[in-house]
Amino acid sequence: MPTNYAELRKNTGFSIAKTELKTGTALGPELQERLPPARPLLDAADVVVPEGYAVEAVMAGLSFPTDVDIAPDGTIYVSEGGSSWPTRPYMPARVVVKKPSGETEAITMNVQAGPRSVTWRDGELYMSLKGGYHMQIVKYNLETGELKVLIDQLPSGGWHEPGGPLFGPDGLMYFGNGSVSQQGVCLPAGFTVDLAKHPNAHDVPGQDVTLTGNNVRSRDPRMPFPYLVETGAFKPFGTPAQKGEVVKGELYCNSAVWRSRPDGTDMELLAWGIRNPFGMAMNEAGELYVSDNDFEEKGERAIANDPDRIWHLKIAREPFGTVKTPAWYGFPDLCGDGLPVNHETHLPSRGTPAELLLENPPEWAGPAAFLEQPHSCMCKMDFSRSEAFGYKGELFVAEWGTLAPLNSPRPEDLDHGFRVIRVDVEKGTAQPFMHNQKMGPATAFGSGGIERPVSCKFSPDGKDLYVLDFGVDKVTPGNMMGFAHTGVLWKISRKEAQNG
Amino acid sequence: MAKATQNPIILIELDHDTRQTQFDRAKTWFDNVLLTQSSCRQLVEDTVEKIEEPHMKQYLAEMALQEREHEAKARELFALIGREPSDVRQLLGQVAGKARQALGDFIALAGSAKGPWQDLHQVYLSNYNSMGAFAVAEQLGLALGIPAIVDLVFPVIAEKSTSQLLLKEYVLEMCSKSILYHEGF
Repeated sequence: MPTNYAELRKNTGFSIAKTELKTGTALGPELQERLPPARPLLDAADVVVPEGYAVEAVMAGLSFPTDVDIAPDGTIYVSEGGSSWPTRPYMPARVVVKKPSGETEAITMNVQAGPRSVTWRDGELYMSLKGGYHMQIVKYNLETGELKVLIDQLPSGGWHEPGGPLFGPDGLMYFGNGSVSQQGVCLPAGFTVDLAKHPNAHDVPGQDVTLTGNNVRSRDPRMPFPYLVETGAFKPFGTPAQKGEVVKGELYCNSAVWRSRPDGTDMELLAWGIRNPFGMAMNEAGELYVSDNDFEEKGERAIANDPDRIWHLKIAREPFGTVKTPAWYGFPDLCGDGLPVNHETHLPSRGTPAELLLENPPEWAGPAAFLEQPHSCMCKMDFSRSEAFGYKGELFVAEWGTLAPLNSPRPEDLDHGFRVIRVDVEKGTAQPFMHNQKMGPATAFGSGGIERPVSCKFSPDGKDLYVLDFGVDKVTPGNMMGFAHTGVLWKISRKEAQNG
Repeated sequence: MAKATQNPIILIELDHDTRQTQFDRAKTWFDNVLLTQSSCRQLVEDTVEKIEEPHMKQYLAEMALQEREHEAKARELFALIGREPSDVRQLLGQVAGKARQALGDFIALAGSAKGPWQDLHQVYLSNYNSMGAFAVAEQLGLALGIPAIVDLVFPVIAEKSTSQLLLKEYVLEMCSKSILYHEGF
């Protein structure tokens, strides 16, 4: 047994096995009868897509699903996240499998929190996992059942998510790791869960940085009586930084994107300063795009009107192994528009205004390929590769939807997201592709449409777009609650293709 | 607008047998909620009678009223999953409340405490236990996708959480009078 704290905080692998999955099928009135009260209606007719496309629900009853992938033989893999957003309650961390025959099974793993992605490649499932002080990237052999941990030391244990893995035309594996802190400094943030589980977690920069010493003062909810503490950037909660202090950049950092060989070796840091690189996609030309979510307008380091964004990581064009200096995209001091967090356009209407944390910020690698409305919560995405589906070369992005009024007091933020958009990454423009008749989650107005799209992926032949809908997360000004068994997998096809 | 769904949809763990099995398991937990809450209510009611200090007596009397309401809420949980509560468990809870008073007397004797402080200390522990039972019921409501369970217990947990802060204050404030001075209040 390890005898020091650093050893104890390392991942040690986990058990994983194929298990039976209790499923049934239903249609029409029987379907509505079987649905849980939290999402009592499911009706593709309530979903809006462009003329010429058809939508159908493929699976329902999913619990906190995070990603979908489809193997060349048509087998569908949906990862269910275990503890996700919010972390309670934990539902089984697993991958739901639907074979072309209609047969189903689960690949269940004894790990907390759970898988945040699933990528099929040559008979193996590659997954990124959250949980503990370090995120993991693993691969699971579907035939032998062997689990291999490929990446295991990326500092995590906080707010944001792993990204990828995806495989480029160059055969390399690309992956990301979001920041521990929500607002650039580890803070109670309204949820004490991260502090409870990982009180020593903190952000790690990808380059050497000098700190301004602007610490953030807050209450320490771990203490039995009201107790005020100061916290600095790249420090665990309750640890202040000093003015002029230098924090060393690390290969094993966060708010970052890397590439490696498919077995996880020769890891190369491409970029950092990306707050939440949950969505990653590469087009046929091998250009890498990463989604990123905005700062929140609440709490002790509040920032307003920060747009969601998609970064084009041009640095990924550099030959493998030649990147000496990673690109920096702004976290923790710049918003998506490149303006500092204390710029007058980002001053909050509630909470304590943010101060700058870096004395010598690296050169900004922006501007973004696309800016989206704040709090749209752009998640996973995929490029259309087929004329049969249409919009070839455009990037389809799942937008989970806002957490306002919890994370923003602005009425205009209340219906941002809750849709799938298609982005022209060359022009930096987007159009809604899939949404409800009224913008917002379906259950908010009694519809049977979509709730919170979390991932979208094209079938291997490019003809169908699968949209994974996380399900019902109810948000109030004070809290959020997620209801299990409300996730849905939708499929969108061209009507002409359906007719043969 | 899209076309209506035509093909049967695969339902994950929403079939009749799986749901009923999970409801049965949730019901056994709800019996625990009722047991711990009956115990807590009994203990609070008995403790009110033992305290003389007027402010504490008043706050605890208010808490006793809330505890009756919480017990009624605990009974309402069962109908939300089509089940009936176990009256035996409720009765057991009341007995457990009395037993906790005896345990408090023993701990007080062993720890050199005097007066109703030991009862207050037991209420503090009992409320925490009951609050935890309701909080688990809330998580089961989320896991089953039944908002009515969450809506029912969330206000109870919030009141119990507020009571817990108050009880902690009283237990910590009054311990010196009970242990060092051997005086009641």
